[in-house]
Amino acid sequence: MSAPDWGHAVDLRDVGGEVAIVGIGETAYSKASGRTATEIGAEAAERAIADAGLEPADIDGLAWSGAFPGFGAAEFHAHFGTDHELWTTPWGGGMAWAGTVPSLAADAIRDGKARHVLNVFAVAWATQRAEMTGGPGEVHAQQSLKQNLEVPFGWFPQPIYFATIMRRHMLEFGTTREQFGAVAVTLREHANRTPSAVFHDKPLTLDGYLGAPMLADPLCLYDSCPISDGGAAYVMTSVERSRDLARPPAVVLGVGEGYSGSGTHWSQQRAFTSTPQVFSAPGAWAMAGVDPDDVDVLTCYDPFTIASIMQIEDMGFCAKGAAGELAASGGLRFDSGRLPYNTHGGLLSHAYVLGIAHVVECVKQLRGTADAQVAGCEVAVYGGYTGHMASTLVLAKAR
Amino acid sequence: MAITRPDFPLPDVADELVAPFFAGAAAGELRVTRCRACSAYVWYPVEACPDCGETAIEWVAVSGRGTLFSWAVVRRAFLPAFADRVPFVTALVALDEDPAVRLCTLVVDLDLDDDLAFDRGIATLHADAPMEVVFRPLRFTTVPDREVIVPMFHLARGHES
Repeated sequence: MSAPDWGHAVDLRDVGGEVAIVGIGETAYSKASGRTATEIGAEAAERAIADAGLEPADIDGLAWSGAFPGFGAAEFHAHFGTDHELWTTPWGGGMAWAGTVPSLAADAIRDGKARHVLNVFAVAWATQRAEMTGGPGEVHAQQSLKQNLEVPFGWFPQPIYFATIMRRHMLEFGTTREQFGAVAVTLREHANRTPSAVFHDKPLTLDGYLGAPMLADPLCLYDSCPISDGGAAYVMTSVERSRDLARPPAVVLGVGEGYSGSGTHWSQQRAFTSTPQVFSAPGAWAMAGVDPDDVDVLTCYDPFTIASIMQIEDMGFCAKGAAGELAASGGLRFDSGRLPYNTHGGLLSHAYVLGIAHVVECVKQLRGTADAQVAGCEVAVYGGYTGHMASTLVLAKAR
Repeated sequence: MAITRPDFPLPDVADELVAPFFAGAAAGELRVTRCRACSAYVWYPVEACPDCGETAIEWVAVSGRGTLFSWAVVRRAFLPAFADRVPFVTALVALDEDPAVRLCTLVVDLDLDDDLAFDRGIATLHADAPMEVVFRPLRFTTVPDREVIVPMFHLARGHES
């Protein structure tokens, strides 16, 4: 079989073992809170810095998502009353960048540009939703090709994209609604064990899933994540420096980054039922020197059940088309001993905070402080998949 | 920023990149883009051919025949304009000339010639079903007094079930 050519991997410098996550902070995760992303981001930053045992003045590197203005350098200084120089990058925050920013931080730390890098992501879409065209679809509606060739035909927004991908996956591989339902139910069970999850106190059964209203058949209400307010942050430093700090470090062993060649035009992606994890994951495994078999906890960016199914396959945890069976056999449960997956509940049942809480959950699992704790977790992985980009972040306990 | 174009979500037929697509539909012709140099179909329309780098992109008429690649039965409106349109079927149709070219489209005439209910109509849809283009006015009650002729698709005659 020839190598897939519908996208490409980014050739990243080997940063394995150079940096670690040494502090994590989270805000409340909720429906509309009335707060701004700046307020939420500041709170997450404060908590992450405190968790690392550092002071705001110790933070000399700051990363956020440029696509989500909210908590950048100006807001950092305004909030903490500081004015020192910061190395900054807008290629961080959440989404797939939550998985690649450790690579940028490693470069900055190696080059002496920063010692402690804070990565922050906050979103207040639940509060802002009424002002957005198609909610989180707004950014897509703004692209002229989508605005003219997709939106008028009802092929918009993301729930429609992924309903169409979901159906094609069902047609190609025989994936069933019961299998997608198993993903939703497993993640809800994880959220039920996680007090901070938006759906903490709302159980979901497979019958409840199968009887739920369709948004865009075959995609039902529980295949789709809610819109949330919330944020989180994490602090990175060198592995050497991490030994002086209070928390057990989550060491960055590998980073991968890949792109689909058709950009964010899902309608034209040649490998329609795949994700650019096909290009991202292999580089991360190689850099980390680990195989999918070595992974104790996997978290993936999961706005829809199909996004989980595809990434689990594309990262090499099972054959293409086999993730539905894995889910239906209980293999994604935190206590399955197989592939504990989105153990906090994921975007689907924890909160739609665009991946940042997934990385935080990986760190908690490695520290042994997760709510749905996986026994003996040594290696935890984040798979980011947003737009045409995928990232793979391999974290491990210090050896 | 929210979209403020007053005729949204009708297509902007004045947008240079896609104007020939809608001019074609108004003339009863399905047109897509092709590279004049290497003859490869290039979709979506772009400035330069991704295969050979030439900028000689031309609009050409195609047969209007294709196959049903995938579809969704939309039951909840995600934009106010679609509130009185649900349920409807939005789909990707792969063109016979090059199945890598997929059009986002509306599947229409699901009730065919008799009184089949919509739910029975959608039960006739199947993977890779032959489809053919029809040109129909697209209207939204949220955009009064405006319509745009667009390509929609229905099951090819003789393949209804």
